[in-house]
Amino acid sequence: MDSTSDNELTPTKCPPALPTIDDFLASYPAYAILLDPAYRILKASDKFLTYYGLAEHEIIGSSLIDVINEFKLIPDSDSTRAVIEIARSSGKVYVADDIKGEEESFWTLQSNPIIKGGVLLYMFVSIKETTSEHTDRESINDQMDSSDSYRILVQQVKDYAMFMLDPAGLVKTWNVGAQLLKGYAKEEIIGRHFSTFYTPEDLAAGKPQKEIEIALREGKVEDESWRLKKNGERFWANVTITTVYRGGVHVGFAKITRDLTERKAAENRLIESYKEADKTKSAFVANMSHEIRTPLNCLMISLDLLLGTELTGQQKEHADIMKESGAILAQIINEVLDLSKLDSGGFALNVETINIANITAVVVRGLKPTVKPGVLLESAIDEDVPNSVKGDGLRYRQIVQNLTSNAIKFTEAGSVFVYTSLESETLTSCTIKTVITDTGIGISADAAGLLFTRFTQIDPSATKLYKGTGLGLTISKAMVELMDGAIGYHPNPDAEGSVFWFTVKLDKAGITTPLQEIQNRMESVTLASPGESIAPADELQALAPTKHLLVAEDNLVTQKVVVMLLKKLGFTHIDLCVNGAEAIEKAKENKLVYAGILMDISMPIMSGLTATAEIRRAGIGLPIIAMTANALKSDVEGYLEKGFNAYVSKPVDKAVLVEVLLKWLK
Amino acid sequence: MPDTHSHEEDRSEEGSVGLPDLGDSIDAMTFEQILEMDDDEDEREFSRSIVFGFFEQAEQTFKKMDDALEERDLATLSSLGHFLKGSSATLGLTKVKDSCEKIQHYGQLKDEAGTTDEPDEDKCLERIKDTLVAVKEEYAEVEKVLKKFYA
Repeated sequence: MDSTSDNELTPTKCPPALPTIDDFLASYPAYAILLDPAYRILKASDKFLTYYGLAEHEIIGSSLIDVINEFKLIPDSDSTRAVIEIARSSGKVYVADDIKGEEESFWTLQSNPIIKGGVLLYMFVSIKETTSEHTDRESINDQMDSSDSYRILVQQVKDYAMFMLDPAGLVKTWNVGAQLLKGYAKEEIIGRHFSTFYTPEDLAAGKPQKEIEIALREGKVEDESWRLKKNGERFWANVTITTVYRGGVHVGFAKITRDLTERKAAENRLIESYKEADKTKSAFVANMSHEIRTPLNCLMISLDLLLGTELTGQQKEHADIMKESGAILAQIINEVLDLSKLDSGGFALNVETINIANITAVVVRGLKPTVKPGVLLESAIDEDVPNSVKGDGLRYRQIVQNLTSNAIKFTEAGSVFVYTSLESETLTSCTIKTVITDTGIGISADAAGLLFTRFTQIDPSATKLYKGTGLGLTISKAMVELMDGAIGYHPNPDAEGSVFWFTVKLDKAGITTPLQEIQNRMESVTLASPGESIAPADELQALAPTKHLLVAEDNLVTQKVVVMLLKKLGFTHIDLCVNGAEAIEKAKENKLVYAGILMDISMPIMSGLTATAEIRRAGIGLPIIAMTANALKSDVEGYLEKGFNAYVSKPVDKAVLVEVLLKWLK
Repeated sequence: MPDTHSHEEDRSEEGSVGLPDLGDSIDAMTFEQILEMDDDEDEREFSRSIVFGFFEQAEQTFKKMDDALEERDLATLSSLGHFLKGSSATLGLTKVKDSCEKIQHYGQLKDEAGTTDEPDEDKCLERIKDTLVAVKEEYAEVEKVLKKFYA
């Protein structure tokens, strides 16, 4: 190495001997350090070590910033880092004056980037205390400021903190507003880095640097967030940082800070009270609807009884109108109740094992009588839709029912088609898509945007023709969202009419209940006249004689009533037992005979919960329906987890029992 | 009270088809559902057997509750409360059912609604004692109404 350089140097005159770089730096007449590109200290001048009382081995190889922080050196690490960064990014020597040190001291930092071929090799930083120069400059500055009146104006503003930062982010000026707001006197803050005002969270996120970057790029940055006062108190600040250029040269930043703590608090109070009022309103509506529902149910039952008596033609006509209006009223109340529950967040999904194909088939069958003569109502389900999934069957059904009955309502001729498919699946869950296509009156492009908005019925003229609350789609949307899905509309691409679709994300069922295979996955019904449909009770009546049931209930009074109710519904084979242990035994013996089990929860010897878990463990998938007087939602969820398929509350309501039995026995 | 009384008598004399004025102690819809199960509206054989079966059950249960209270047996009181809750709910005897439910909860060392723990046994026993007095009165009331109906 030496010999090569000697050879090269031979033609020229031998230069005077240079000091080694070590000696050069060691004896440098200022506090100076040489850094590598990662800002690690390679060498420090003797003056630096002496002044800061450091030994070479304590700092060599460490990051300068870490050393400053560890030994609490002055100037502080933020200022130093800022100065070095500017020099690095500009590739030029950068000098920052008036950096605030301890007490009344001021410092000057000079950062020299040593660059070769565009690559930063070293950074040479020298530090100098320049308090006296600073004082001189201050007085000159004061005299030379371009516009005294403007300066005085800014100085005197009390409501805003207005101050200047130099390009490295050090505070250069300070007004009365800044002093009042942030609590620092002018002497304390001048020369300190503006990151002093930021909260530890913001500092950790590197917010001061980011704001400077944005201000440089875009000329200005605005932010609303918490800032710190001198005493550590937080205030909600609106901050604007504007980059200032003089004669095309970047000279620093103007920073304006407003204290919005009061406004923020007022805003929060307002939001809180609004939320509270909204909750009260929702609760009121929910309670009212609930209160109305009970007498209305009595009214409807009485009307049914009345219609069952001998009536003259005119009386019957009036009673029929009453019944029809009552049914609409009941629907409105139920919808309002659902909506207010959805609004107040009190709407819980009742997750159980459900069969999507079954639900769709039931909805389609139920809607047959409402289809206009000649309209074709069809449904189809893809083969790959799982048989059993975990979801809220009632709510899923409500959505399908809503969209399908809407489609039927607006379709005078042609067809309504309900198509269910598997959109995607993972190991544990699947997303099921249901599309309802009709050839009805369709929806104008303008009106399409208003769909799913509450109380809107699209065509004003339609209101007269088609009755409804206009809440159906809103409720469907909210429910779909609860089930992690989406809902949407587009015009029917093949004909006049509409296409409504929705997706729901459901967990795959852990316990698979062997359900009777849906024989006709494709169901096609053309209606000649309404009235062909079968009422649920009649449908069950037809089904019941072939179904053998087990009833487990220890209370003889309840047992007798349940058995009689089942007999009245058409069941002829009913086995009885009075505790969970017997239930398990019978279920195991007759697992191929029984079509289902009705199980009381609390029974002596062994409870219905334990018995059901045991029956499931034995691999018996019979539908098990809980009967309970515990109406608590949390209890009921526990039942479904234990392996029950459904529950009916005590006193057992006939209509509810019919619906549940139909669902699980068909 | 005498007024209501005579009113009830009028009713039952007048209406052979009419349902009894059950007052607010009995849930009409639930009870009617049971009446609908009768094959013969004059005989009312089924519902009669149920209702009188319940009377027997209730009186036995109250006796057992008295004994359990004597023995400070909270667990038994709770399960007896739950037992009678089931049958009174089935008949729609709302007040009796609600009181039974309270006894069930007190017996589990909980408050009336069963939502908060109440570790003080003495307090729970005291509450059961009071509720037992109340439920017997509520029972006596529905018993009177129903016996009149089936008279």
